[in-house]
This record gives sequence, C-alpha cells and structure tokens, in this order.
Amino acid sequence: MSEPHADAGSATGTVHDLGYKRYAGARSSAGTRWRVILRNQIATGWKTWWRFKASLGIAVLVTFIAGGVMFILRDKMIRDFGGNFAATMADAALPKSIEWYTRAAFLVSLTIGARVVAGDMQSGAFTFYFARSVRPRDYVLGKLAGMCALMALIFVAGPLVLSLARLGLSDDMPQLADTLHLVPKALAIGVLGTVAFAAVPLAFSSMFGNVRHAMALWAAYYLVFGLMVSLLGRASHSWIGALDLATALEAVANKVFDLQLFRGRAGWVPWDAALASLLAHTGAAIAILAVQVRRAYGAGVGGAS
Amino acid sequence: MSLIDVARLAKRYGAITALGGIDAAIDGKIIGLLGPNGAGKSTLLKALLGIIPFEGGAKVLGLDAATQGTEIRDRVGYMPEQEAYLSGMSAVELCTYAGELSGLPRTEAMQRAHAALYYAGLEEKRYQPIETYSTGMKQRVKLAQALVHDPELLFLDEPTNGLDPRSRDEMLELITELPERRNCSIVLSTHLLPDVERVCDHAVIMHKGTVRFVGTIDELRGARGPDTEIFVEVKADAKKLAEVMTEAGATCTVKSPVLVAIDLPETATNQLVFARAREVGLQVRGLGVRRESVEAAFLRIIGEAS
Repeated sequence: MSEPHADAGSATGTVHDLGYKRYAGARSSAGTRWRVILRNQIATGWKTWWRFKASLGIAVLVTFIAGGVMFILRDKMIRDFGGNFAATMADAALPKSIEWYTRAAFLVSLTIGARVVAGDMQSGAFTFYFARSVRPRDYVLGKLAGMCALMALIFVAGPLVLSLARLGLSDDMPQLADTLHLVPKALAIGVLGTVAFAAVPLAFSSMFGNVRHAMALWAAYYLVFGLMVSLLGRASHSWIGALDLATALEAVANKVFDLQLFRGRAGWVPWDAALASLLAHTGAAIAILAVQVRRAYGAGVGGAS
Repeated sequence: MSLIDVARLAKRYGAITALGGIDAAIDGKIIGLLGPNGAGKSTLLKALLGIIPFEGGAKVLGLDAATQGTEIRDRVGYMPEQEAYLSGMSAVELCTYAGELSGLPRTEAMQRAHAALYYAGLEEKRYQPIETYSTGMKQRVKLAQALVHDPELLFLDEPTNGLDPRSRDEMLELITELPERRNCSIVLSTHLLPDVERVCDHAVIMHKGTVRFVGTIDELRGARGPDTEIFVEVKADAKKLAEVMTEAGATCTVKSPVLVAIDLPETATNQLVFARAREVGLQVRGLGVRRESVEAAFLRIIGEAS
C-alpha cells in the first residue's frame, strides 16, 4: 500500500482505492490487547501539556527542591517542639516530599483518571472497544496499567530519585549500607500511592457517563470529604482520618521512613488503619471498575437494546 | 459452510424472549437484515459477535460464537449506528488504534488505516480531530474503522442514518463496491428498505424474535404476494383472454386492446395463461411479472407473521 496520490481531489461521490491485499500475517493474541490500551493511555496522557506534563513538571520541581534541601542542609538537625525527636534534613526530606507528590498525583487523577472511562462512555468508545476482540478484563487492565504507568512517573520515580540521592550523601560505606533500606521503602510507598491514585479515580470515572460529573465527584470526594475526615480525625484523635487518601499515604510513609516529627494531619492516624484504608480503597475501586465495565460490555453493539 | 449458521438460537432477558430459537443458514455478498424495532436484530448481532451468552448454536465464518467470540471479532468488522470514537483522536489515529486492537502489528495497522480512510474518502481530512467532522464524515470514519483490520465479514448498523441524500448515495456506493474491492461479505442492518433494494442481494427478515424469511432479494420479491401481477401482451383481442382467464378464477384488467393485467389464483402458474390462450386461439406475444417491491414484500411478511 502506498500513500494517497497528491492529486486525489475531493472525496465526494468517488470510490477510492489504494490497492488491497488480504492480510496474511499473524495477529497478536487477545490476551495482549491490554498492552495496546496501556500504550494508548500513555500516549493520550502525554498529548497535551495540561493532562500530564504539568503535573509531571510539579513532581520534577518537588524532586529538585527536596533534593536541594537534602544536599544543602544535609547535616542540619531539626527537632519537634517538645524536643523529643530529631532528624537530619537529609533524612526528613524524602518522607516529607510524599505530601507534595500526592498533590501532583491528584492533579493527574483529575485531568486523566477521572476522565478516562467516563469519556469512553460519553463518546461511545465502549462500542468501539467491545466490537473488537477486547474483553472487559483487557479494558480494565489496560486502563489501570496505563494510569499506573503515568502515576508511577510521579509517585515512584520521584521518591526513588530522592532515596538514591540520600544514598549519595552518605559519608562512608557503613552509612551507605545503613541507608540502603530507603530504596525499597521509597519503592513500596511509591507503588502504594501509584495504585491507589490510579484505581480510585478510575472507579469514579466508571460510575458516570459524563466526564464533568465524574471529575466533579472525584474532586469533591478527594478534597471535601478528605478534608472533613482529616479534620475529624485530628479533632477526635481517631483513625477516621485514614479515610482521606492523602492522609493515609502520608501516615504509612511516616511509619515506613520512621519519621517522628512534623507528621501533620497524618500524625493522628494509626499506620495500620491507613494501610488498610489504602488497600480497601484500591480493592473497592478495582471491583467497581470491573463491575461497571462488565455491565457496559456490549451495551452499544447492535444498537441500544 | 454458510457465512452464518444458527440453530435453535435463543436468548431471553428475564421474561422477555428476544430470540425464540431461530434456525437459519445465511449467505450472500450483501445481506439485508430487516425487521421492525424489537424484532431481535440487535440481540442477534450481539450473539453472533459472541458478546452475550445464548442458548442453541451459532457459527460465524465457521467459528463458534459461544466459545470463539474474540476470534470472530478479529475477523468481523462492525460499524455501529451511534457515534463510537475516542475524543481527541484524529481519524488516522483512531483507525490505527482500531487495527492494533484487532491484533495487527502497529506498522500494518497504520498502513491499513491510511488505506481504509482513503477508501472511505477521507484522505484530506484524516489528520483532523473527529469531533470536528460532519455527520457524513463521521459515518465514513465508522466505516473505515470497521474495515481497517481486513475483516471477512462486515456488520453495518444503519450506515446511512442521518445522511443527506447525496451522502447517502455515496455511502451506498461505497458499500456496494466493498465485496469486490475488499473481498468481504456484508450484513446490512437497516430500516431503510430502499437501501436494501438498491445494494443487497440477500435478505433476512426478523419479527418478534423469529426469522420470517431468508433468501435472495429476487426470491423475496418473486414470492407471490397480493401485489404480484402478470402482464400479458397478445396479438389482438385482450378482452377475450380476460374473459377466459376470469372463467379460470383469475382477476383481470384489460389495459389496452392487446394488453391485460392478470392476478392469478393462488395455485395457478403462468402456464395457465398459455394454455387458455391456446384454447381460444390467441397468440401470446409477451408475458411479464410485476414483482413486489422489497418494502411491499417486507410488509406482507411482517403482516402475515402478525
């Protein structure tokens, strides 16, 4: 097949053909369709600056600032108000940066996550997908993996770079060995945040056939409900603050990095409740997404019946 | 092996029977799938694509729809009635993505996307976002995305819906050319019977979850109905022929001294005309059948079923 001729002229009323050959090559198996959806998800996210690049820029900025603080003030000790706990800036910068990565991740969840499935429903793309050899599980897996890949650039890459930077600031080999544990910990927190902040907005997105409604409800849940439970948890000194995704992630990060000071709103949240909240949010979100997609499967094919 | 074989195919949604155990062997180049709303066309398409579970058997291109749905959908193209695109994509991006989702390698998918869009007449506009397209252009994109993965069978759902007369003509022209140019068969689901009359060679008529007719368009129109008349031209004295045919139980109208329109009795054939004319010494110079239109045949079949 070749490109159209330059003098092809207007299409109207004419049957054009570039020559046709029956495709005789191999087709990839249906089990690989999720990878195509994943690639498309990343490509779509990367297309315009406001969808992903702006948030990635914020995450890069956070990494630079936290890394800078880590380097410049590496030996400066900070203490809590009671003087009970102390840490060097080099050790505190990484766990404290999670809060900022969370903000960047929320922006991505709003500009991509909450839009994805609702947008597909709104534009009739479910028919486009499911009239092909795409099964509901391929769609769910592809969209989830695509979102995770984008989120990982914020949640995993940033903390990982900072943990490596912390290793680089070690004075000697024993200190390097002592701080080596930061790398898997940064990865673990990054993966936890990535999966939660990918799955939950997708679930909200799947509950509405309208992009704006899905975005509004996700934003309301994250910001309004999150703030309410966070304040309530602080006021009542209870686990309830763990229902806020950002607070829960910070609480787990504080525990994992053993940060005892300046824990903010997450200070009142038990880490196990926070971890349970993150896992429950993620599990429920994936279940909702799978059920909603399964329900919509084939609805548009063959008409509206 | 037929393109589509169904045996006792049944589908129920609770108390509602969408398909009532249908049997059919469907073949042809362009097959019109006809039926009023609620006839079961949509359910049949979903069952054939392996999207919904059903009772009985269904084979498409020799593949079992109950267990090989994904394989069928790799070899079948579907052009939906309603809008079905991904926002923010250009036509070439959408068609390339469609090809990849059907298992083609990316390079092949991209080449075929260009070719399909060119065939559909969108060569100059294929890089524009689909949201900016007119209704006619969106229909062409839907056709191109259904073609891109080189299907052996195409399901076209109301492809001319919402099109102005010129665009409709162009779409029908594209559809007519498809079997030859793309080496595929087409199932055309539509309410527009003139479209079927113009492009289809076979028809399937469904009503209330059952198949009422499967066959060629000629068979559909040739099946004798109330509108079927034969016109007989004689050398002279058409009135005489009308008299003898009336005695034989036919209803006759003399159109001119040499032409008579005859509605034969249910059991009679054209041979009766020749026999009676010979008896009274009349020379038959011509005999033609005015067949029913597809629309009249459709209404008759649906009417009989009701």
